[in-house]
Amino acid sequence: MPSISDLKAELKQLNAEYAKIKDMPAEKRADFGKELNIKKQKIMQQIADAENAMQDAAVTPLDITASRDINADAPEFLTADFGSKHPLMTELDRVVGIYQSMGFDIMESVQLDDEFHMFDSLNFAKGHPARDGYDTFRTEEGFIPPAHTSTMQNRVLKTYKHKLDEGNAIAVAVPGRVYRNEDVDATHEHTFYQCEGVYVSETCTLGNMLGILREFFEKYYGQKLNIKTQPGYFPFTEPSLEFLIEKPAALGGKGKGGDWLEMLGCGMIHPNVLKMAGIDPTKYRGFAWGGGIDRLVMLRYGLGDVRNFEAAKLDFLKEFTC
Amino acid sequence: MLISLNWIKKYVDINVSNEELIRLIGARLVEVEEAIDETHKYDGIFAVKVISAEKIPDTHLTLCKIDDGGKAEKVERDEKGYIQVMCGAPNVHEGMLATWIAPGAIVPSTYHDKEPFEIGMRKMLKKYDSYGMLAGADELAIGDDHSGIVELDPATTTPGDDFAKLFELDDVILDIENKSLTHRPDTFGILGFAREVAGILGQPFKTNDWYLRDAADFANDSNIKLNIEIDEKLCPRYTAVVLSLKANNAPKYLTLQDTLLARSGMRPIDPVVDLTNILMLISGQPLHAFDYDKFVKVGKSKNPKIIVRAAKKGEKLTLLDGKEAELNVDDIVITSNNVPVALAGAMGGANTEIDANTKRVILESATFSLYNLRKTQMAHGIFSEAITRFTKGQPAGQTLPVALRFAEQAKAFGYEPLAVFDSQKTTPVVEKVELSLVQLNNLLGTNFDAKSVQKILQNVEFEVEIKGDKVVTKVPFWRTDIHISEDVIEELGRLTGYDNIAPVLPLHATSDPNEMLALKTALREHLSARGANEVLTYSFIHGDLIKKVGEIPENSYKIVNSISPDLQYIRQSIVPSLLDKSYANLRAGHEKFALFEMNQVYPRTNGTDEDGVPQNSHKLGFVIVDQSGKSDYYLAKKYLLSILDSYGVDYKISPFVEAKDKTNAYCEPKRSAHVETKDGRLIGYVGEIKQRVLRELKLPTPTAAFEVDLSVLLELKGASAKDFSFSQFPSVARDLTLTLPLSCKAGEIEAKIRNTLTQRRLINRVVCTSIYQAKGADTKNVSFHLDFARTDKTLEKAEIQAIMKTLEKIK
Repeated sequence: MPSISDLKAELKQLNAEYAKIKDMPAEKRADFGKELNIKKQKIMQQIADAENAMQDAAVTPLDITASRDINADAPEFLTADFGSKHPLMTELDRVVGIYQSMGFDIMESVQLDDEFHMFDSLNFAKGHPARDGYDTFRTEEGFIPPAHTSTMQNRVLKTYKHKLDEGNAIAVAVPGRVYRNEDVDATHEHTFYQCEGVYVSETCTLGNMLGILREFFEKYYGQKLNIKTQPGYFPFTEPSLEFLIEKPAALGGKGKGGDWLEMLGCGMIHPNVLKMAGIDPTKYRGFAWGGGIDRLVMLRYGLGDVRNFEAAKLDFLKEFTC
Repeated sequence: MLISLNWIKKYVDINVSNEELIRLIGARLVEVEEAIDETHKYDGIFAVKVISAEKIPDTHLTLCKIDDGGKAEKVERDEKGYIQVMCGAPNVHEGMLATWIAPGAIVPSTYHDKEPFEIGMRKMLKKYDSYGMLAGADELAIGDDHSGIVELDPATTTPGDDFAKLFELDDVILDIENKSLTHRPDTFGILGFAREVAGILGQPFKTNDWYLRDAADFANDSNIKLNIEIDEKLCPRYTAVVLSLKANNAPKYLTLQDTLLARSGMRPIDPVVDLTNILMLISGQPLHAFDYDKFVKVGKSKNPKIIVRAAKKGEKLTLLDGKEAELNVDDIVITSNNVPVALAGAMGGANTEIDANTKRVILESATFSLYNLRKTQMAHGIFSEAITRFTKGQPAGQTLPVALRFAEQAKAFGYEPLAVFDSQKTTPVVEKVELSLVQLNNLLGTNFDAKSVQKILQNVEFEVEIKGDKVVTKVPFWRTDIHISEDVIEELGRLTGYDNIAPVLPLHATSDPNEMLALKTALREHLSARGANEVLTYSFIHGDLIKKVGEIPENSYKIVNSISPDLQYIRQSIVPSLLDKSYANLRAGHEKFALFEMNQVYPRTNGTDEDGVPQNSHKLGFVIVDQSGKSDYYLAKKYLLSILDSYGVDYKISPFVEAKDKTNAYCEPKRSAHVETKDGRLIGYVGEIKQRVLRELKLPTPTAAFEVDLSVLLELKGASAKDFSFSQFPSVARDLTLTLPLSCKAGEIEAKIRNTLTQRRLINRVVCTSIYQAKGADTKNVSFHLDFARTDKTLEKAEIQAIMKTLEKIK
């Protein structure tokens, strides 16, 4: 390998060549210039590589087994006061904790999935416009960063099917990160978190679903709550509903009625979804729901800009010191 | 979608307040985004007669006297009681009936503005008092027409009539959230929406007879020839009516229909277009009119034929808006003997446009594949009221009745039907869906009986037969969404209100903990309690970052429709994202911080799982930055080992090796290490970041990081039982300093000391307290603080000396 000084001399020589361009016949100038540029780039890369190699060689190795550097003080942890947990994760832990206390198993959602789990297994007809509503990202291979935690329903049903054979219910909550290809603003993020719930048994009813959801939100907000629903549409539930709670006191609700918060979408699992997971829909039935976590956090802390969650800004995070 | 409540009321007797009705619609049909109250929008607006109209020379103005039936206050009247108003419209004339906005009233087009415009008395041309305003369609918010003032029909209007009463404008407009009606094409028509409202209120609904017709009441004119050829996959049904213009009876006065179009977010244009639009709003069935003679001419055939087919790639068609569309194979075209004349569902062609010379029209009433039209919508960016309805999949059963309704109503403005043609030759079989009461009540947790089920479904025009426990329903043709028993169960739950179902908690078994989540929760506590900040960063990163840290771009899955280059690759590891975010935090003035994130990563080298889905890894990444130079290898290692120690993981520190997939290539090999299990399995690596990476990312030297595979950590957690043994005899505290060659590993010496003590069955604690190298020396002094004790008795002096002597020989 030539030395750096040799390379630099070569570069200097090359730079001098550029002066010759003006003496060239016009038609040859372009090619000549192009050739010079390629040579120059090559030398500059060689110089950079050589410099990097020199710098790498100059690095002093250290004793990896030691607890400190030679002649140095022992390393010390940062001041505990400034440490913080991410508010979204704290909230997700709370949510998961409540579901666990209600007897739910927990299965974390995946972050890269396929068309089958995201749509086919959820009774979306091929090419159905409802697929558009999810604004999914796609990889070159056609994999999908999932746009909802429902992408886990088929896996949940298959994984926990044995519970039905054992005479128990499937009761699983699925927290996870999801993605939608939409423009980011104060209330929209392309990356956010949801929590899904899946419940299947021989005897469960829509009334049970309402019971579980009310129980969850009452535990979550630590008070009795009024609930209501409105019809919704999801290909994977039949009937499909939107679930609302009356604004709890913790969020400034006055208990006078009329102030409703839309918390999640839910419904009785479509027989085709059970069938796709090998569960007999004439014997078993179930319900499922899914809602956003980001919004829960925004409401709890009165935050106005969802973009802070994934920005890794200490100014924001230090508001949540332990 | 905008729905006029007054329009709904023409179909249903509403026996509850508007407020209650809106609540019920929200709870039992669809979310009402907004109820726009227009009950007072037209207050103080009257029909007036123009008594005199006197042109003011050299201006466009006309000075008028109007008769308002004595309705208005705050105005000056002449001796006959007439009011003076100046008008700028060219069509104002003596004797006409016009619309007048009285002083004190709001101009309706500004009604929803922040500062609504209140009309008053104006001094015009410095000398004429002008009270109020004679209004045009645009000012009244019932059209775009600004060319003149609105003229009212003298046959039905008396001066002084309230404008709102004349046209039923004291209305509430519902802004409906369309998304949750994707599967309900029928509700995209007033008729279908009203049927649901009746069902919700528990009233029987009766669809108008015209909507249920299955044959024309006129015979085809044998001179009119038209064949229809369809591909049923693309176009399940195509109906066409040919009409002829016999007399030009276009209405010159404002009609109720004009205002209904306006209240639905559309605008009156001309009689033919208005009727197609109004029928679409009523039935949900979009219609299109072609000029029949142009159509025949374009096709150049004696046997005119409508052929509906897939467009050919690159085929071109100039549309009504004058733009030339380049078609592709997913588009459907209507052709005249194979010459395209319309882009199906989206827009007609310019070559068959209706104009002032049109004598005969073809009225198209058809349904198309919603899958194809959805692609057309996206490819050509056409988002009209019509295609919005088409992409919900309008039922084939309504094409003929709606076409016939057009034929019937077009007579009012001079069109006579000549012939009707239909691609459908046989009546389709009515779909039957069966369910049992047990199934119904089990699924919902309700107590419906047969009689109430029958009534609820009959209200929305299902035919219902009860056979013991079984309910057999015949599904009306417009309910394209009902196929299985659960669909009918949804109807029953929804129409009677889910909120009437009692919430009941089910009983079930207890749950198992999720170890991975528990581990993450504990790590979150552990690191934040040691001053580190948990962050979340995007799973998608810029290709440049991958290159800067020395990873291989090809090992990242690439997003084809990413929002920006910043978000194009799925990350392979966590640390690069943290390094990337560190610079911004330094710039924001934070001089010393540690960031960590626990998340999934998807290096392509992970391969796929048994389902063929990319395999993830759960990783913990950690980066520490300190402007004062303290964020070195040893500090990062201290954080990492504190975790391993607290979980009782047995580990060893081994020389760093660059990974084949380069996911740790940002580590400086001479100042980094592997952390492995005793049997050599990699748990993670810790080290200082390479100089060139720091330079690229503008970070201080040293900056250190570690990344740990959480699945491995989870397996190892608690694998080696922590030794909790202690002695009840006093322990001895001693300091030990060893002079060692520079190459000697301090960690290994520490282990040797520990081993020596342990071999002698001494409970012990060994802490390295200093590593010192004198200037120019080729040795280093490594000092330890030791505590040790016997478990059976107190250590004696001689024994202690012997122990220390052994320890001093360690090298």
